[in-house]
Amino acid sequence: MTYFEFLNEHGVTLLLGTVTTVKVLVCSMILYVIISMIFGLMRLSKNRAIQGIATVYIEFFRGTSLLVQLFWAYYVLPFFGISLEAFTAGVVALGLNFGAYGAEIVRAGILAVPRGQWEAAHALNFTPAKRIKRIIIPQIFPIILPPAANLTVELLKATALVALVTVVDLTFEAKQINSITWLSAQCFGTALLIYYIIARFALVPFLRWLEVLAARKVGKERI
Amino acid sequence: MQMGWRWDFTFEILPQMAIATLNTILAAGVGYAIALVVGLFFLLGQKTPFKIVNWINREIVEFIRSTPLLIQLFFVYFVLPQFGITLSAWVCGMITIGLHFGTYLSEVYRGALEGVPKSQWEACRALNFSTIYTYRRIVLPQAFPIAIPGMGNYLVGIFKDTPLLSTIGVAELFHAATAVGGYNYRYLEPYTLVGIIFLTLSIPAAMWVRKLENDVNKAQGKIKK
Amino acid sequence: MRKIYKTLTVLFVLLFSISTVNAKTLTERLADGHKLRLGFGTAVPWAYAGDNGEALGFVNMIALTVLEEMGITEHETKVFEWSGLIPGINADRSDMITGGMYILKSRCANIDFSDPIGVFGDAMLVPKGNPKGINNYADVIRTGAKLVTGTGFNTVEAAKKAGVPDSQMLLVEGEVGILAAMKAGRADAAVQTFFGAKEHEEKTGGAFEVTDPKLMPKETVNVVGIGFRKSDSKFRDAFNVALAKVLANPDKMLERAGKYGYDKAQLPPPDMTTEWACSTK
Repeated sequence: MTYFEFLNEHGVTLLLGTVTTVKVLVCSMILYVIISMIFGLMRLSKNRAIQGIATVYIEFFRGTSLLVQLFWAYYVLPFFGISLEAFTAGVVALGLNFGAYGAEIVRAGILAVPRGQWEAAHALNFTPAKRIKRIIIPQIFPIILPPAANLTVELLKATALVALVTVVDLTFEAKQINSITWLSAQCFGTALLIYYIIARFALVPFLRWLEVLAARKVGKERI
Repeated sequence: MQMGWRWDFTFEILPQMAIATLNTILAAGVGYAIALVVGLFFLLGQKTPFKIVNWINREIVEFIRSTPLLIQLFFVYFVLPQFGITLSAWVCGMITIGLHFGTYLSEVYRGALEGVPKSQWEACRALNFSTIYTYRRIVLPQAFPIAIPGMGNYLVGIFKDTPLLSTIGVAELFHAATAVGGYNYRYLEPYTLVGIIFLTLSIPAAMWVRKLENDVNKAQGKIKK
Repeated sequence: MRKIYKTLTVLFVLLFSISTVNAKTLTERLADGHKLRLGFGTAVPWAYAGDNGEALGFVNMIALTVLEEMGITEHETKVFEWSGLIPGINADRSDMITGGMYILKSRCANIDFSDPIGVFGDAMLVPKGNPKGINNYADVIRTGAKLVTGTGFNTVEAAKKAGVPDSQMLLVEGEVGILAAMKAGRADAAVQTFFGAKEHEEKTGGAFEVTDPKLMPKETVNVVGIGFRKSDSKFRDAFNVALAKVLANPDKMLERAGKYGYDKAQLPPPDMTTEWACSTK
């Protein structure tokens, strides 16, 4: 059959899978951003215990393979009493894993804020919490967004792994179609195209827009 | 089925897992070596003066970088035989990893070269050094330390992506865990062991990369000894 | 800012409330209104998913017929990697596994099976003309051929028992992996269920052929059952009652399953019971 016929017959299935992929992406993105912020700040805490916890977390999740973490979350956690739905297990594994990488980016971002800002806030009698919240954090965004953008594209690609724990996403549908029709070039090729389109024409422009927004808020835009 | 951790089972499967770990390390090493070379090709593709080659190179790199390694693996594994190219799963895996991470490494190379101050290039021009000499004695030694963190990180990254090879049947550590788990119908011990083995290997590796970075910087006089 | 925190908290709570800690048996859960989760791997024609995720394949057809007899008309399908089927049901990922699981002693130790739904044999898949003359495990050992099969398949155990060395075994993911390996010439022969091999022969238009299952060792003739968690024995017993009714009047079942190649020859003989299989296989 021609490629057009293939799309006619299987296109809808692939698109439905894509919807799930996007859902996984959005949920895990939210989770990883939150975790990155929390653990990035914890890593810089003066309190040894807090810093230790953050370091252990980061090293652990960066040091093990995402696929292993995913299978573990899905097949092994139930024996410890935590039984998550496949979708949730996937989102949690992705969020925790990418949160660890994100935390390092946030940490680097905070360290890159000019010393003068910290000192000025101190001079103006800001409480540490307020200083972090209103002065430092808003300024890290232009710094962390470019590496965070790369990380988010990585996240999109990583969502493909959840197909291996029964989540019916784009990769899963592509595998299914392949197992029944053996039109490997068409189904995997189309899947590749869809991921590429999402990355290049939706995700990256969105992240670029965020960068511009952040730059404007901090007054770094070009006039 | 026993719900608790079974130590007897753990020790029973440990030998198989240990051997499979060697396979994983080999896969990571070979894949990385290929990626290092492929990265150079992509870099050259970017630097040639021919605009059309630049453009094709850019598109290919973007495409490979923006799509999941997992699907790329399936593509190479299932599609190539349909065109008559039959390769073992191992070779398929190495090619795909090489291509995929080659694109990342080409960016690292590019960033490193751009990190060398323009003045260095100009000075070489003024002193009439040949291009090869410029690269060999002046530019590359300065670009190298800039590239190390990136290169090191991707080595660790490849190592952690080797489990994906199990989906096309390459007998590395994760595949062994799934096979052993499938044979005995217990995933608890095999998958936990895999996690521990990965931790034991990648944390020292990451620390070694950081040390390497420090050493090279010291040798180049960038930080105080 | 406050609003964002609120929505995020709600999102989190929602996310984690989707998790369920299973303390109830299947019968209780069904009474509560939860749908039955049917788990299987991708093994044409035994059990596989259609374009809309619906359960296809003869084992699924038989299972669904029995479920209807029990009054259960709704279900959810979940497709697993084959070797994840048993760990999956034990991890509460599904409630019932079809897939075409042979009843084996090692499996009986981990899950409970229904009464047999059929008797089946294994066969080898070889290139057309059977160039290396491989018809069973002994031939594989003799010719030093590379044998491929799926992780978690009964054939892995059978090959080990027959003495096939690990160096000659290639383990791949499921039926799909097996055919891919054969097509790409990565193995000289594949060993799988007779039905699986027949399906592959048809799919490749005869480029590969099935060997005679009678040439395989007698022990490879097995009965297939539906898998349940050990804690769901109440449901399993009810299932067996309904299954017996269906097998007594098998016409409807044969019609549905017949589409996939199952016929009267597969009906389980009365002497091959689950207890017998669990203790001897």
